[in-house]
Amino acid sequence: MRVPFLFAVVLLTPGLATPVAPGGVTINVRGADGKPVRDAVVTVHLAGRATPPPQAPGVDYVVSQKDIQFHPFVLVVPTGSQVAFPNLDPVRHQVYSFSAAKRFELKLYAKEQNRSVQFDKPGVVALGCNIHDQMTAFIDVVDTPWAAKTDAQGNVVLNGVPAGTVTVAIWHPYLRAPGNSLSKTVALGAGGVRDSFTVALRSPPRMGGDY
Amino acid sequence: MLVAFAAALPARAQDSGGLFSPDSWAVAGDVRVTAGDGEASWLDGGYGKTRFGGSEPDRGWRVEPRLVEGNLIWQPRFGWAVSGTLVATAQQGQEHPVDLSEAFLTWKPLVGGRVKPSVRAGLFWPPVSLEHSGPEWRVTETITPSAINSWIGDEVKLGGVEANLAVTLGGHRLTGSFALFGLNDTSGTLLAFRGWALHDEKVVAFGLQPLPPLTGFIHNIQAPETRPVIEIDNRFGWYGKLGWSPMRAFELQLFHYDNRGDPEAMTPTQQWGWRTRFTNIGALIDLGHIRLRAQAMGGRTEMGFVKNGRIWVDTDFHSAFLLMTRLFDRGSVSARVEAFDTNGRGSRLGSEGSEQGWALTAAARREIGPHLSLLGEVLHVESDRAARATIGLAPHQPQTLVQLGLRVHL
Repeated sequence: MRVPFLFAVVLLTPGLATPVAPGGVTINVRGADGKPVRDAVVTVHLAGRATPPPQAPGVDYVVSQKDIQFHPFVLVVPTGSQVAFPNLDPVRHQVYSFSAAKRFELKLYAKEQNRSVQFDKPGVVALGCNIHDQMTAFIDVVDTPWAAKTDAQGNVVLNGVPAGTVTVAIWHPYLRAPGNSLSKTVALGAGGVRDSFTVALRSPPRMGGDY
Repeated sequence: MLVAFAAALPARAQDSGGLFSPDSWAVAGDVRVTAGDGEASWLDGGYGKTRFGGSEPDRGWRVEPRLVEGNLIWQPRFGWAVSGTLVATAQQGQEHPVDLSEAFLTWKPLVGGRVKPSVRAGLFWPPVSLEHSGPEWRVTETITPSAINSWIGDEVKLGGVEANLAVTLGGHRLTGSFALFGLNDTSGTLLAFRGWALHDEKVVAFGLQPLPPLTGFIHNIQAPETRPVIEIDNRFGWYGKLGWSPMRAFELQLFHYDNRGDPEAMTPTQQWGWRTRFTNIGALIDLGHIRLRAQAMGGRTEMGFVKNGRIWVDTDFHSAFLLMTRLFDRGSVSARVEAFDTNGRGSRLGSEGSEQGWALTAAARREIGPHLSLLGEVLHVESDRAARATIGLAPHQPQTLVQLGLRVHL
C-alpha cells in the first residue's frame, strides 16, 4: 500500500516566519541513461534555519507481504510513525531489521494482520524476511515535513516549503554514492524551484532461493 | 491419487502456530495426456530416453491420459529458526504406491551482519538444478528437465548434512555450501548402463530404478534394478558449491560432487558401490521478461575390480543445455537445446556403453488461477548407443514426446 505525500503536502507550516513558496520544490530523478528513477526518497531541509518537525506521525502506514514480496518496496514515514505489517500470504514470514534506526523482529503467521512497529528515530530501515531471502524493502524514517518518493516518471513535488535556501537530498537503496544519498543546496524563490538529479544505480545481487 | 492425498490431509487444523498449522501443508499433483513415439522408455525396460515411449512393437505413436504424480508436503516450523520438510510422493511407475521423496531439517538463525549461515540435514537432492524449485522439486518452466537435471533427479539423492553461508559484500552476493553425505553409493549406475535420459520421474527413498537389459558378465554381477538411496561402503562423500551474483541479472554457480564410493563394495543383492564425481557449472541471466539458464556437467563413474589395468566399468559423461524463457504475466514460453555423451572404456563395459545425443524442447506454461497451471511441451531427442543392438535396435534412435499437463497446488 502506498501513502504518497501524506505528510509532504503541507500548504502552510505554522511557526515559520518566511512565506511559503507557492510553486514548491519539484525534483526529477533520472539515471545516466535518461530513464526515470522511481522510489528515490527526496527530502528538503531548510538551510541556515531550523527545519520544523514533521506533522503528527501517521498510524496508517503499511508494509504488506504478498506473493513473497514486501509492498511497497520503499516507504517514507515521519519520525514516530507506526507501520503495520500485514501478512497477506498463505505462508509465514519472519520480518526483521538490524538497521541502527530500528532493530526489530516480527513473527508473522500466515494471514495475520495485526502487528505493527513504531519508528521513532530518523534513518533508513532495511527490511528482510529470514524465511524468504529474496524479500527486501526499505522504510525511510524522516525528520522533515517535506519528503516523498519519486513516482514512475521519477518526479516528486513537495509543497509548503518556505522560500529561501534549502537543502534537497535524495536517497535510493541502490544509489552509487556514500550512504546511498546525494544532496544539493538550491535557492527557493516565490515561484518555486525545479531541479533534477542524474544518478547511477547499482543492480543488487540475486538473493538465493529457498529449499 | 490426488483424492487419496487430499483425504490424507490431517484436517488442516486451525492451529496457527503449531506443527500442524494450515500453512505447513500442501498438496501438489500432475495429470497429463501424453503422445510419444519411438523405442520403449528406459522405465519400461528399453533404452528410450523419454519417460513415455511409443507403442509396441511398431514404435508408433501412443496416446494416453496419465495420473503422473501426487505429493503431500509437510513443512512444519519448530520455533522460527528450525523448519522441516517432509514430502511423500506417489508417481506413476514407482515401486511402492507412496514413498518418501525428501525429509530434512533446516536451521537458519536470524543474525545481523553480512553473513547469513544455515544448515540442513536429512534426505535431499544436492543443489545442482537451475530448473527445479519447491519442496516437491517441480520443474518450473517445462515439463521435462534437461538431461543433466533428469539424472540428478533420478539417481543423485543423498542423506547428509549441508552447511551454507551467504555473504553480501559491496553489492555482490557470495554463497558457499559444503556437505558430507552418504546413502548415494550407487550413483552413476544409470548413467553407465542406460546413459542420459530426459524425464521427470524422480528417485524416492525406498524405491528401485530399472536398468536396461544387461548382458554377459554385467548381467551376472549386477541386479536388474538399481537402488539409488543406499549406503554400501560406509564412506562419506562430499560436495561443495560456490555461487556469485554481482547483480540481479546474473548468477554463476560452481558445484563439485564426489561420493568417494568404493567400486569394489557390493551387497548380497548385487548393488555395487560406484566411485562417481562430477563438476557442474550453472549460469543464470535474468533480463526481466527474458531469462536464460545454462548448465554444463562433466564427470566420471567407476565400478568393479581392475582387470588387466582397467576397471570393469569406467564411464565419462558430459552434457550441457541452454534454456531460454520468455516470461509473461501469467505464464511463460521456453525453448531448450542440449547435447550429451558418455564414453565407456571399462574392461567389462567398453564402447558399447558409449553414446552421443541431442535434444530440443519447446514448452509453454499458463497459470489458470492460484492453484492450477497448464503446461504443454514438445520434446525431441536423438541419440546413438551401440548397446541398443543387444535388443535388436539400431544404435541411432529418434524419439518425440508431446505432453499436455495440468498441475495442481493446494
